[in-house]
Amino acid sequence: MEKYLYIALFAPLVGSLFAAIFGAQPKIKFVGLAASGFLFVSFVSALVLLFEVMATGQAIHVEMMPWIAAGDLYIPFGFVVDQVSAIMMVVVTTVSTIVHIYAIGYMDHDKGFNRFFSWLSAFVFSMMILVMSDNFAGLFIGWEGVGLCSWGLIGFWYHKESATWAANEAFIMNRIADLGMLLGIFLIYWNVGSIQYDAVFAAAPTIANDTLVWIGILLFIGAMGKSAQFPLHPWLADAMEGPTPVSALIHAATMVTAGVYLVIRANPIYVEIPDVGYLIASLGAFVALFAASMALVNRDMKRIIAYSTLSQLGYMFVAAGLGAYWVALFHLMTHAFFKALLFLGAGNVMHAMHDELDPYKMGRLYPIMKGTAILMIIASVALAGIYPLAGFFSKDKILEVAFSGEHYILWGTLWITAGLTAFYSFRLIMLAFFGDTARYKEHGIHPHEAPKFMLVAMSPLALLAIVAGFFEHGFVHFVNAVLPEFEFHTHHVEMILIAVTSLMALGGIAVAILLYRRGRISTKWESTWVYKMLINQYYIPKIYDLIFVKPYGAFSHMMWKNIDMKVVDATVDFIAKTVYSTGEKTHTMQSGNLSVNLRWMVVGVMVLLLAAFVPTLWEFASNFYTQNLHYFGAN
Amino acid sequence: MMDHILSFLVFFPLVAGILGFIVNKDSIRAYGLSVAAIELFASLALWFNFDMSHSGIQFVEQASIVSAFGINYFLGVDGISLFIIIMTTFMTFIALLGLSETPRIKNLIITVLVLEMTMVGVFVALDAILFYLFWELSLVPMLYIIGAWGGPKRIYASIKFFLYTFTGSLIMLVGMIYIAHMYYTLTGQWSFSLMDWYTMTFYDLNVQFWLFMAFFVGFAIKVPMFPFHTWLPYAHGQAPTIGSVILAAVLLKMGTYGFVRFSLPLFPDASVMMMMPIAVISVIMIIYTAMVAYAQEDIKQVVAYSSVSHMGVIVLGTFALNVEGISGSIFLMLSHGIVSGALFMLVGVIYDRRHTKLMSEFGGLASVMPAYATIFGVMLMASVGLPLTIGFVGEFLSLLGFYKVSAPMTVFAGTAIIVGAIYMLSAYKKAFFGPVTNPENAHLSDLNGTEKWALIPLVLVVAWLGVYPKPVLGPIDHSVKALVQFMHDNAVTEKAKAIIPAPLADANKGEDN
Repeated sequence: MEKYLYIALFAPLVGSLFAAIFGAQPKIKFVGLAASGFLFVSFVSALVLLFEVMATGQAIHVEMMPWIAAGDLYIPFGFVVDQVSAIMMVVVTTVSTIVHIYAIGYMDHDKGFNRFFSWLSAFVFSMMILVMSDNFAGLFIGWEGVGLCSWGLIGFWYHKESATWAANEAFIMNRIADLGMLLGIFLIYWNVGSIQYDAVFAAAPTIANDTLVWIGILLFIGAMGKSAQFPLHPWLADAMEGPTPVSALIHAATMVTAGVYLVIRANPIYVEIPDVGYLIASLGAFVALFAASMALVNRDMKRIIAYSTLSQLGYMFVAAGLGAYWVALFHLMTHAFFKALLFLGAGNVMHAMHDELDPYKMGRLYPIMKGTAILMIIASVALAGIYPLAGFFSKDKILEVAFSGEHYILWGTLWITAGLTAFYSFRLIMLAFFGDTARYKEHGIHPHEAPKFMLVAMSPLALLAIVAGFFEHGFVHFVNAVLPEFEFHTHHVEMILIAVTSLMALGGIAVAILLYRRGRISTKWESTWVYKMLINQYYIPKIYDLIFVKPYGAFSHMMWKNIDMKVVDATVDFIAKTVYSTGEKTHTMQSGNLSVNLRWMVVGVMVLLLAAFVPTLWEFASNFYTQNLHYFGAN
Repeated sequence: MMDHILSFLVFFPLVAGILGFIVNKDSIRAYGLSVAAIELFASLALWFNFDMSHSGIQFVEQASIVSAFGINYFLGVDGISLFIIIMTTFMTFIALLGLSETPRIKNLIITVLVLEMTMVGVFVALDAILFYLFWELSLVPMLYIIGAWGGPKRIYASIKFFLYTFTGSLIMLVGMIYIAHMYYTLTGQWSFSLMDWYTMTFYDLNVQFWLFMAFFVGFAIKVPMFPFHTWLPYAHGQAPTIGSVILAAVLLKMGTYGFVRFSLPLFPDASVMMMMPIAVISVIMIIYTAMVAYAQEDIKQVVAYSSVSHMGVIVLGTFALNVEGISGSIFLMLSHGIVSGALFMLVGVIYDRRHTKLMSEFGGLASVMPAYATIFGVMLMASVGLPLTIGFVGEFLSLLGFYKVSAPMTVFAGTAIIVGAIYMLSAYKKAFFGPVTNPENAHLSDLNGTEKWALIPLVLVVAWLGVYPKPVLGPIDHSVKALVQFMHDNAVTEKAKAIIPAPLADANKGEDN
């Protein structure tokens, strides 16, 4: 089985390196096909491993080679395929393979075609390292690797200022969080003496509670960066500057869920510190509502979906924080399917609309783009959580988790968010595909449906978005071999809860359809402060710019021009000059003749030295004298 | 051959450099490269013949010079100096390989070879006077390189460079003489041998402290530590590419090497005493110079200030005084040598084409020079310490080591990974991304053969030691364990003994269980 593990892990790397060879050359279709092929190989191997783990119930654990060893620290390249990582691997490779194939069509006219596939496959490789590693340092390799690839892909169209700015923003914001994670790893090492999962998790119950709380918080800070939790969230919406397949794969299905994966993986730590778990859940619920509110009014299709992703990540953190790890993982999986589908659909619309992203400029695309419309509606219904689609099962379980723990405020927040989710999803659908008028005509756009193979490539995701929910019982049974059980205390009200939540979702959809059945609604409310606050993302990007970005630049400049050049440098220069001028009138020194200068320099140094160290030398000499009196004829 | 390999390593470049005067001007480049290649192979031979199971000094050569004052010709290497020597010969070779057309090239190559002698000499010398001799001698060729091939303000820059470092080292010399004299009072014999010094314990903590400070000034200016760092941006700003490469890659490491070789083992109690003050200076270096780097308009200055920032992490790791931190800091010396050397060469590439280093003059280079942009990108990622590049290993271990000493201080120092990303990414964005706005950039040629030959080995090393640092980190770690154990045993106060771990004792305990 080790063979399959290595194939699953390294096939994407091979694909990436292969594509990199042609990186600077014009488009070669075969590069895209080859990269997709390698991904498919990886996907098949991941499936084989999944079935193997299912059959035996045993994790596959390998140590490839040592990496870093210093002092007592020993970090190998070690990989483990257990129930959790097997699920993650299958999810990652499924979505990746589909996105790769889709991108062959999507990036068809792009001159960076080959480079794109190199970055995209490199991303998958990093993601596989992230989920397969058997220690925190290995996790960190993948963690930084996906960050790098995210940087390269957000800024893929590097001639665009907005794209490269967003890329740097994402990288730097993630780095802030990564520092937290790094410190968490240090703290683990100095308390356990190892950063292997096995050793750390075995030792977790014995570590002092205070320390464990710090470890939990620091690791979660890392998770907040990758999963774009408040206050480190603005990068995710800006990351939509990247090509849409990137948004689908990295910024919806896989990388942004890494934070959730981390909390799930580190469950033996978080089980010991339920207070931190509750903090995580509360932040998650807040982000769910907060992000959904911004999605309500936004006029950029991709950003709407990005906020929706943020909001769903909040749901996952509620489940993970409250100790229902399998529920978080389950929602992570179903979300990956329907959200990737939604993004790829958005990609089709973007292509059709010549990169126009404002749904207010679309309308009545349904007759032209039936296939895409149906796929996006499937994804939106799944996202809204309507029976029997995948989102229903996973999201409903999260609400049940909150209710079961008697966290009614969390439950209420998520319940309202469920309505908002349904509303903004169908607002987008109505604006883009339905309504009375085809507003795109006013903007002189002639949309067209995407090539058939792109729709076919998307269809497995649609299928999964529909049926994935029915695997719930098998899923629970499978992953609970390694994850702690979660006791639901809601059997008596289960049906009522489902009904209430479903009604909320259906209500959201109904309101959206009613409001937007004719197209856009009156613009009157756009002058209200609520609208302005939401459309400006609560002014958070502006505030960050004002209190972090600009001051950092100004302060840096001040430090250079005023402190480094004037204070620090000038002080030392002043001392040297004083020494010079006492030696001689300065004009002879400005001759520019090196040998003359050298001579003066020596003079200067000697004077400086004497001035500074006469006391020292005196002391030394007097010590020398007193201690060696016999030499000098004394006694 | 192996008996005198260290003498060979020291004097071969000197002899070859002198012989270089009779070499024809047209073949001097090939001559210089061959000499540097032989030197590199000799240093690699050192590695292959190095006994990895032995943590102490190897390849010892000893001869008396001035026996009355205990000044000896005393050479040797351990796991700590071994790789710094190899890095020195490697980077000298690479720098010569990438040397572009220069006036008076013969003088330049000969100067570089002489410089190589002094640098190797510093790292193999185990006699303090010998060490001091090479240390001071290394100033002369570097001064000449900046003064003769530098930019318009080269005289000011070279004088500044000389004044700073020379002042510092004179103070160090005073400390050395004092120790030799102490040895005399104890044993009746003068000695400048480091091995003899190691047998002494400085029981008077006052003396230990002041001696520590005397060495500290010499090393700190060389590193350069805040606030003595301002000579460095001037020197880099005026130095030709080859000068900057060697300055950043090797000369700065003399300071941090000095800490490991002299300050730590000789003055363990003073090191413990100064741990926190030095950590504060390191943190200032890391954050402050990273911010100054961000404000720069000249891309070479960005790299220059980034050097100071990274050196801050190295000093911090060294003064963690545990095996993880010191091993990490030594590895980081190597990785910073490779990466900053590569970055200065890359800056030289664009300077050769455009004769400017201002980032505002560039923009959109990624589309014009893709190979150049890619290699620059790799070095950028190594510089910001991305895992699986050489830059991560040392930075990770240094910070990990210091976390044991002080978690809050490590939080501040850890911002290195944030502020480093900020100045590096924004510089890269300014130079490489965006549209090509300046018509002069539209038709720049990508890397030529020579440049590729010089840069690709560096990329390979960055990847190799990032993925598999063990062949280098192993011997370093082995020697550092012995060093830390020695410090523990040699410490006078209980407090120092408590802070400095005893790694070998722990290991034995582990075996017993």
